[in-house]
Amino acid sequence: MKKLIAAAALLGAAMALTATAHADAPYYAIIAKGFDHQFWQAVKKGAEDQAKADGVTITFEGPKTEAEIDKQIDILNADFAKKPVGLGFAALDTKAETKALQQYADAKIPIVAFDSGVANDLPVTTCTTDNVAAAAEAAKQLAKAIGDEGEVADEIHDQTSATGLGRRKGFEEEIAKHPKIKLVDTKFANADAKAADDIKAILTAHPNLKGIFASNEGAANGLAIAKKETGSKVIGIGFDSGKKQKDAIMSGLLAGSITQNPVGIGQCAVSSLTKALKGEKLEKVIDTGFYYYTKDNMSDPKIAAVLYD
Amino acid sequence: MSSSEKSHGAQSVSGPKLIELRDIEKRFPGVHALRGVNFDLRAGEVHALMGENGAGKSTLMKILTGVYQPDSGEIIVGGKTVTMPNPRAGQDLGISIIHQELYLMNHLTAAQNIFIGREPRKGLGIFVDNQKLNANAAAIFKRMKIDISPEIEVGGLTVALQQLVEIAKALSFNSKVLIMDEPTSALNETEVAHLFAIIKDLKANGVGIVYITHKMDEVKQIADRITVMRDGQYIDTLPQEDTPISKIISLMVGRELAHASRAEGKVGHEQVLKVSGLNAGKMVKDVSFTLKKGEILGFAGLMGAGRTEVARAIFGADKVQSGEIEIHGKKVKVKSPADAVKQGLAYLSEDRKRFGVVTGLSVRDNVTLPSWSRFTTAGFLMKDREMNKTAAEYVEKLKVKTPSVSQIVRLLSGGNQQKVVISKWLLRDCDVLFFDEPTRGIDVGAKAEIYKLLQSLAEQGKAIVVISSELEEVLRLSHRIIVMCEGRITGELDGKTATQESIMHLATQRQSKAA
Amino acid sequence: MNTTTVSQTDFAKSGMFTVATLQKAVAFAVLLLLVVFFSLMSPVFLSWSNAINIMTATSVNAVLGIACTLVIISAGIDLSVGTLMTFCSIIAGVLSINLGLPLWIGIPGALLSGAAVGACSGAIIAYLKIPPFIVTLGFMRALYGLNIVVTSAKPIYFDDQPKYSLISPDSSISALIPGLGIPNAVFVMVLLAIVAAIVLNRTILGRFIYALGSNEEAVRLSGVNVNIWKVGIYALSGMICGIAGLLLSSRLGSAQPAIGMGYELDAIAATVIGGTSLAGGRGTILGTIIGAFIISILSNGLTVLSVADEWKYVATGFILVTAVYVDMRLKYRG
Ligand SMILES: Nc1ncnc2c1ncn2[C@@H]1O[C@H](COP(=O)(O)OP(=O)(O)OP(=O)(O)O)[C@@H](O)[C@H]1O
Ligand SMILES: [Mg+2]
Repeated sequence: MKKLIAAAALLGAAMALTATAHADAPYYAIIAKGFDHQFWQAVKKGAEDQAKADGVTITFEGPKTEAEIDKQIDILNADFAKKPVGLGFAALDTKAETKALQQYADAKIPIVAFDSGVANDLPVTTCTTDNVAAAAEAAKQLAKAIGDEGEVADEIHDQTSATGLGRRKGFEEEIAKHPKIKLVDTKFANADAKAADDIKAILTAHPNLKGIFASNEGAANGLAIAKKETGSKVIGIGFDSGKKQKDAIMSGLLAGSITQNPVGIGQCAVSSLTKALKGEKLEKVIDTGFYYYTKDNMSDPKIAAVLYD
Repeated sequence: MSSSEKSHGAQSVSGPKLIELRDIEKRFPGVHALRGVNFDLRAGEVHALMGENGAGKSTLMKILTGVYQPDSGEIIVGGKTVTMPNPRAGQDLGISIIHQELYLMNHLTAAQNIFIGREPRKGLGIFVDNQKLNANAAAIFKRMKIDISPEIEVGGLTVALQQLVEIAKALSFNSKVLIMDEPTSALNETEVAHLFAIIKDLKANGVGIVYITHKMDEVKQIADRITVMRDGQYIDTLPQEDTPISKIISLMVGRELAHASRAEGKVGHEQVLKVSGLNAGKMVKDVSFTLKKGEILGFAGLMGAGRTEVARAIFGADKVQSGEIEIHGKKVKVKSPADAVKQGLAYLSEDRKRFGVVTGLSVRDNVTLPSWSRFTTAGFLMKDREMNKTAAEYVEKLKVKTPSVSQIVRLLSGGNQQKVVISKWLLRDCDVLFFDEPTRGIDVGAKAEIYKLLQSLAEQGKAIVVISSELEEVLRLSHRIIVMCEGRITGELDGKTATQESIMHLATQRQSKAA
Repeated sequence: MNTTTVSQTDFAKSGMFTVATLQKAVAFAVLLLLVVFFSLMSPVFLSWSNAINIMTATSVNAVLGIACTLVIISAGIDLSVGTLMTFCSIIAGVLSINLGLPLWIGIPGALLSGAAVGACSGAIIAYLKIPPFIVTLGFMRALYGLNIVVTSAKPIYFDDQPKYSLISPDSSISALIPGLGIPNAVFVMVLLAIVAAIVLNRTILGRFIYALGSNEEAVRLSGVNVNIWKVGIYALSGMICGIAGLLLSSRLGSAQPAIGMGYELDAIAATVIGGTSLAGGRGTILGTIIGAFIISILSNGLTVLSVADEWKYVATGFILVTAVYVDMRLKYRG
């Protein structure tokens, strides 16, 4: 029993160390969709950098998976108790969390949406990538790489989120504009291994497949794994970055990927809050941009700055 | 191997004291289990510990092996006062025990059970040396003269075989002190004889043995000294030679017991149960018999003769391959125990711990279990008051020793658990009762009570089948005796004229010889 | 001779319940400790509005925990509670939004579908003798897929049924006592806990839940139709998942198809922390409620303290293992 208490004390101490004090500086609560993907780590880095520059403290939190909307609401509620002066929020559902957001609005705490927006006008602005346009760019690049004809498929990271819906829409609408390209399959997975299995199944079912689009980090990693394991020559285009995906591009497993600007998204969320608190007027949507990157331009400083491991 | 020769008597009592217990006190919630008990054990003796169900025998031995801690008192091992905070400490002091309730791991093999935690190793001690493991187990089995494969899963063994595995495990420690808590409750006479031979062997090697049993003849055969306990109190320690059975019994129960008589009562004419051509599993082959109202029908046979399997098949507990069952002249299909009970059949299992009691429930809930639906309001709310009252009646009637009817059955002594299981079938009030080893672990006094009870049930018109490995019990109770061997009925005897010899003759009539 | 002293003592005196009571006391002590710790560490933790946050966050998990408790005491396991909860909320959505039926059909419909799915898994477990772990694992996945199929992967919003949101968030009591603000979900949780405790301790079904968990074979050989009771247990558990589904979807104003996977683990954790033995035969509803509160207080408190997400999981894992350790210590003592 004594050992147990000692262990508990140690754990408590460890947690106390990681907890950030925010007694003096203004405090923003930043709530993301998750915390363990590289993408969110990069957003977090952008937000933390900007917080330092603006002289504020932040917390950066998210639920375990992007399905756990109620857990995100619990975080919204718990953070509200801490009386933040601003809220940065990446909504898991465009409508389901309105009530929790409303309490911030009622308390006159400015809200900045980031990554994806919400279906109400509570946020002062939304810092986001135009996912439809970004995925359309991926489709264009894929079309070019396969010579504008043949079968293609897409692996989308989920069926419900705004990013999933937007990227699927952008990719498939653009593909539809190419008469000789046929979309033969669409599957959904957000984790490396599951996506890899999906794609291997697609490759088996469609031996003549020319190209695949994978709509986020997990899906793209899965695509690289599947290609490596099957030795398939299919052309792959991914989305976002991360170490594994970058390696896959370097080794030629992926032709290239679209990257958002996650660091920029994080910066935008925090800086927009600072601006709003100063009373500045902001655009309804701030496009944080995207880039198509390949082996050749990865070390370009402009690109390298928005890629993350 | 002859086992019935006279014991060596009291001379070995002079060996050095291995163990001494002084003024041991133990209380459980609601139970003062031990009240200043003294006990000692010398090298090379068999010391019998006797007492009624719930007298505190097992508790005393659990204290001696580190399972329980005494509230006060002294444990002296080899002249030194010791504490035993856990069973491991007991083992380290050279004390091992065969528990009354089996503590085997069903999914492990016999050999794995025997050597659990002490497996021989190979390959830098990383891998279990299975060959050696099995060979070691086989050696012990050979010494015990039993035929069990070391590689068989114990879950599939009968209680008797499991008990033998438990004994083998205790022997494997090669301890200086060996405690046997009712080791023979499930064994047949041959196995008992083999066990006694081993005990004599151990004695000769200076091992001290504590022997707990309710069987007087065993005590007479092997004990050197006898200690009697009653209600948690130490009564006396006597040399076996000079103590007649009647004296032991009167010390145990505090009064003289009337000897129960042989079955009297009139058997009715109405045929209650008719079984014809029953085949089930590997152990029941073409079994046919009838049972009349008011009759007690004994089923005798050696262990593994298939008697339990017959009862289980009729009761719907196991699958039946072929055969017909008629109850009150009507053909019935019994597909499950639930069907069986609906048809008025009851089956008291020989394996109390696995198939009899629900150890996590109270005495009250166990006694009423087959009848729960009778104790509900609006079909779902339990009438606990009424259940308490009913259970209390049976506790009174069978003298179940328990602080209250809401005591969890696991905390009762073995014999008292058996009484609970008997109560539940008495309460359910079925017409045909199969009692498989009904007096297993039950003390002499209570045994006589249960015999009386069975006889009065028969007189009230119940039809009863008693399966028992104790020939005396079968002879005493039965109007008629069916003997089985290797899954077949080999003969039928009249209860009045049957003798142990005539039963044994039929019980060993193997198919190969008979044909 | 005082062989038989029969008194009509209540449960509290018997051994099983002393162990359970002790276990609950341990869990309760942990709960108090956490509250004291977080209150000392953060001034905002002990505010009434944060207390409401905690209660709200607890409600769905506690309800799922109750479903799990019933099954686990009976020595079963139900891994499908999370996705079954979602399935039920989707049924509510399909009935009252897609088909436009009134709520008094949609709500019972959701509960009944939960009971029906539970009965199915119970029947497969009981009659086909497939281990519950496997059966409910299968149901967990199958339901997840079904949820996506039925909704075409889009949430069903309850915008056309404004009253639906009353199930969970807006309090009926707070209408009577302004300023209290406890959401209905919390009352539903409390009410259900009371009913479930009564079912466990006072009804024949509850008695069978304990009996099956303690020694199923002995119960069968007592002439009980064990299979039917098993189906009943899983059906009841399924219906309680339906209640969780209503609470969650009402809170979100929508039936979310992707949600639910992983929720079974939190529910089982609450159950085990609350002293229910995974081996069956032992456990209480109150324990599970305490367990669910421990989980959400931990999560809320660490958020309030601004502890990094990673460490929240470390802490929750630590508490879980501690609880099971204590559970085992107590068991081998008894
Ligand atoms: N853990 C326990 N908690 C409460 N009561 C107990 C516990 N263990 C034993 N008892 C009680 O202590 C008394 C002595 O029990 P014990 O098992 O020692 O009897 P016994 O002499 O071995 O009887 P039997 O011949 O039936 O095996 C009984 O009344 C029993 O109910
Ligand atoms: Mg005993």
